[in-house]
Amino acid sequence: MKKFENFNDLLHYCQQESCTIGEAALRYEVGLGNRDEAAILSGVRAILAQMRATIESGLYSEEKSMSGLSGGFSKKVMDFMDSPKAFMSPLEHRMIAYALATLEENSRMKKIVACPTAGGSGVVPSVLIALADERQIPLAQLEKPLLAASLVGEIVSRRMFLSGSAAGCQAEVGVATGMASAALVEALEGTPAQALTATAIALKNMMGLVCDPVAGLVEVPCVKRNAVAGIHASASATIALAGIESFIPLDEIVDAMALVGQMMSPKLKESAEGGLAQTPTAIAFTKALHSRQSEASE
Amino acid sequence: MSSHGSLFDIMGPIMIGPSSSHTAGAVRLAQLAKNVANHPICQVDFTLYNSFAKTYQGHGTDRGLIAGILGVGVEDEAIRDAFDLATRQGLQYRFLVHEESNHYPPNTVRFDMTLQTGEHLMVIGHSIGGGKVYISRINEYNVSLRGEYPTLVMFYKDQPGMIWQVTKIIAEQHINIASLNCSRKDKGTEAFMAICLDSLLPEAQVEEIRQIPGVFSVCNVDKIPS
Repeated sequence: MKKFENFNDLLHYCQQESCTIGEAALRYEVGLGNRDEAAILSGVRAILAQMRATIESGLYSEEKSMSGLSGGFSKKVMDFMDSPKAFMSPLEHRMIAYALATLEENSRMKKIVACPTAGGSGVVPSVLIALADERQIPLAQLEKPLLAASLVGEIVSRRMFLSGSAAGCQAEVGVATGMASAALVEALEGTPAQALTATAIALKNMMGLVCDPVAGLVEVPCVKRNAVAGIHASASATIALAGIESFIPLDEIVDAMALVGQMMSPKLKESAEGGLAQTPTAIAFTKALHSRQSEASE
Repeated sequence: MSSHGSLFDIMGPIMIGPSSSHTAGAVRLAQLAKNVANHPICQVDFTLYNSFAKTYQGHGTDRGLIAGILGVGVEDEAIRDAFDLATRQGLQYRFLVHEESNHYPPNTVRFDMTLQTGEHLMVIGHSIGGGKVYISRINEYNVSLRGEYPTLVMFYKDQPGMIWQVTKIIAEQHINIASLNCSRKDKGTEAFMAICLDSLLPEAQVEEIRQIPGVFSVCNVDKIPS
């Protein structure tokens, strides 16, 4: 069984076997012995279907979250797409709107796919489903790219916990962006080396990202951060597909990121004791929210 | 950190929001605590530590914990109505907040459960991100229990032949052992064994193991849905 001890190992395997990262990922999962190939692919199909279902149910919804901090954002971007002031491509508008829709559904306590976590759940679906919708690509063609993204996340997860409380947002939206970059390159038929270069570029630029959610909720800055991260993944994929390489190898970047996570103050790890969570606006909002909650529970 | 885990832990779980560690993780941790109890639960005191203590209401951690105790899954929209569900099913609960503890990881819960049998059971568990969880303590015993396999957790007197007697009973059921971990406090005192199985050991055999001289305590803990 091929376990892929690190990214270098994975790349060598793909080059030797002339396979994509998604194919290597499928063989990896088969090798774990939990389910056979057909069951794995049917699981991947169910995940892609749920990603699309979450986007569809949230895209034009104007329902607010429990806290009132989000809701109705994705519809605004879909509406803006047709405005004369719109300057990004329809694909990019969809990426932004789809990530917003996913995170807004998440904050309404609706059904989502954690990828790799709920806080970073908008990035991978937004780039893949937007690509599918804008280019009329059947979801079946995105199964391998999603597997590729997951193997990237899995290899990172061996060196750092994928949670904001353990390593900051770099471990959630950061890693999701690295995963989405690889998925995009594979979906666009780039090489395995290019896919991992895209991940490297994305992670280098997400390194150090703190987890500082207002009132501790997965809303500010998470909802919009996921939307921006899809564009970040797209830029990273474009740089890699253009043939530019990463000066620092991906394995070294992941080690550096894990160390940055350890150096990060606990106040910037999801505890709402630093960063945006300690701005005057956030403090005032948190006070008001807590008094609302204690009134409700009395 | 995991090593060589399933890709479905990365692209998943499919879950009710808003947080994989604070909502889905809470559900799964409570499911695992329920499986440790292995008997109907009447009352639970949830003591929340660190990040769980600070942000549990906004993340639906409280609803998730109750849902897990009631056997509701991470992708079930019933999580949102967990308080009503608890009332309907007669589960009593309290949430206690213990703000800071350097002793525990960020997202920690202590479950003090009263079972229908009248027994009390204390479990301490942690949510470590992406919906992954583990239990580190059952009553006075330190354990490491992740809920990925049906697991037989036992405490016994450190003496020759214990592993053989237990694995013999398992082998007679034609159940395969996925992994076996043993350790002891001091020679001849108390030992701990966790046996991960490919399927759950029937209760009759668990009872047989309880009767082995020198066995102090046995928990037959089913796995939780991945």
